Amino acid sequence: MKIFAAGAYQELLSSRRERMPQILLAVFVGMVTASSVIGWLTNQVVTSVYDRTYAAGLTTQPNPFSAVSPLYYAKNTVIYIILIGALLAIVVGVQSTIRDRKAHTFDLVLSRPVRPASYLGAKLVGLLFWVAGILALSAAISWTSIGAIVGSVLSPGDTIRLLGFYALAWLFLLPFIVLGMLTGLYSRRETTSLLVPIVTWSVLTFVVPQLGTAEHPVSLLNPVPAIASQGGVFQLANLVLGPLSLTEHFKHASGYVLGNTVGAGNPLLSLAVMVAFAVSLLVVLLTTQRDRMRSPLDE
Amino acid sequence: MNSLLVIARRELTDLKRTRFYLILFGFLAVVMILSVIVASLDFRVKIGDYNVYLDALRRSGSTETPPAPQLFPLQLLRGSIEYLELIGALFAIIIGYGTVAKEKQHGTLHLIFTRPVSRFAVAGGKTLAFAVAWAAVTVGVFAVMIVALVVVGNAPLQLIDLERLVLTGIIAWLYLMVWSCVAMGFAALARRASTGLMVALVAWLIVVLIIPQIGDTMDPDNQVPGGLFKSLAVAKPDEKAVMANFAGFDNVRNGLEVSSITKHFERPAFAFLGIKDQYNQQPVSDVWGSMLPYTITLTLAFLAAAAFTGIATTKRALLRRES
Repeated sequence: MKIFAAGAYQELLSSRRERMPQILLAVFVGMVTASSVIGWLTNQVVTSVYDRTYAAGLTTQPNPFSAVSPLYYAKNTVIYIILIGALLAIVVGVQSTIRDRKAHTFDLVLSRPVRPASYLGAKLVGLLFWVAGILALSAAISWTSIGAIVGSVLSPGDTIRLLGFYALAWLFLLPFIVLGMLTGLYSRRETTSLLVPIVTWSVLTFVVPQLGTAEHPVSLLNPVPAIASQGGVFQLANLVLGPLSLTEHFKHASGYVLGNTVGAGNPLLSLAVMVAFAVSLLVVLLTTQRDRMRSPLDE
Repeated sequence: MNSLLVIARRELTDLKRTRFYLILFGFLAVVMILSVIVASLDFRVKIGDYNVYLDALRRSGSTETPPAPQLFPLQLLRGSIEYLELIGALFAIIIGYGTVAKEKQHGTLHLIFTRPVSRFAVAGGKTLAFAVAWAAVTVGVFAVMIVALVVVGNAPLQLIDLERLVLTGIIAWLYLMVWSCVAMGFAALARRASTGLMVALVAWLIVVLIIPQIGDTMDPDNQVPGGLFKSLAVAKPDEKAVMANFAGFDNVRNGLEVSSITKHFERPAFAFLGIKDQYNQQPVSDVWGSMLPYTITLTLAFLAAAAFTGIATTKRALLRRES
């Protein structure tokens, strides 16, 4: 247990000291800070657009934004977690295992009575604490900025929802950290270890959802989840590929937690998909063989 | 043969021999074809929905015939163009970075500079190599898209469509070159090549994903799945009339979008291919005239990126960083 805690603590320290992900971290925190303002501004405009449309007698439909919760202003954060957070998670995951392979730390640690699963688990726990710290900071920024926008402190219910959203974000980022760690372990070059998970992320974010929904790739950057096309082929594609559409499931679940039910699907299914991704990758990571960890890089 | 051409030739041989790059190009081609397939299937679904609607109208005794959805073949390329701007740019970064990183990692820079190479031979040779490589990839990818359009999309192409595709191919090449040059410059400047890659990736994230995403998210019509105005059952002319009152907001949103070079590729590409309704079936000369400012800025961005690479990847700079 002592060794496990020491491994986790060492990883936490190393991640904090790592300079490479810090630029991504700065962009992430900056965008989380800006997202509430963007959400608020957009909401103000869209409400004015609706008011004008209604006043001109062009619609009799109710305003879809009349009773949005203050947490609606955080909806852009969802997309920044998908775009920046996931890439950050990949980079820290890759750095974690590549660092040990480069410095031959794995050789040293595994010469002691330490099981590979235990050491890798400790590293992962350290990274998860690091990510949790960043998300906690982001939650504090969101809480403060939304409070400033609405002119009052968020209610306990909204605060719990906001914390729930960031807990969901933590779960969403977990598979990307593990994926990064895995490619760091399995790739022969540092460059490949970074690029393979980034290409995988682009497939999960753009290609898989497009096949099930017929949405254009750029439209998938909208925090509002895409609706599955109703055609026979797309229904089938959505049935088969839907569970692989991790980013869309995160959008659905986040929409539910943030109280933005516009376009929200089944949150339990989305949660189950996110857990399934995390568990499957964790199993692969924790069953990594000793020899794999000791394999040298080709550079 | 001068040193620049020798380096370009060697670089091209390396690119051809590197399986990883071939996989990347293959992946790009596959997602672009998939996108054409998805778009053509989606069109068939729309035709099916139209026929069902028409049958229902007939059964209800109506003699009205609503206009059928029209197939404009090049519009099926929207997703493919978007993949080129998102994933193509990412791969352009990888290639630009890789061309310098491999020299740093293998320590071959010292060997190269033992030869009498001119000041800008390395930068020029490598830029020339990926200019040729991207030209070949662009031609290949567009050829594949044409085949996909004809075979999968069952879309007959006219000579004018090919002209539009060639123009789009040229601006796609410029766009990809911008990213390769920028990544090469960053990789040369950084002490560790992987740091250069990271900086280029962050630039990609901000310019290709975040800035256009903010502009897209701020669009009032994108606030509801399927579109705000569609959900409010507001017709297109009425939508335009309402939005005319929000010109200031739209200008800010547009200003934000055009601060990204990606939009300077996307807008002319969508215009040439008729993806934007206002340019659909318009004479190429008219579209060219309207899109000239974007084409100029994209060309300037390419020249600036090439100049940046030239300055960053000189013999002196590379050896200083290596020592």
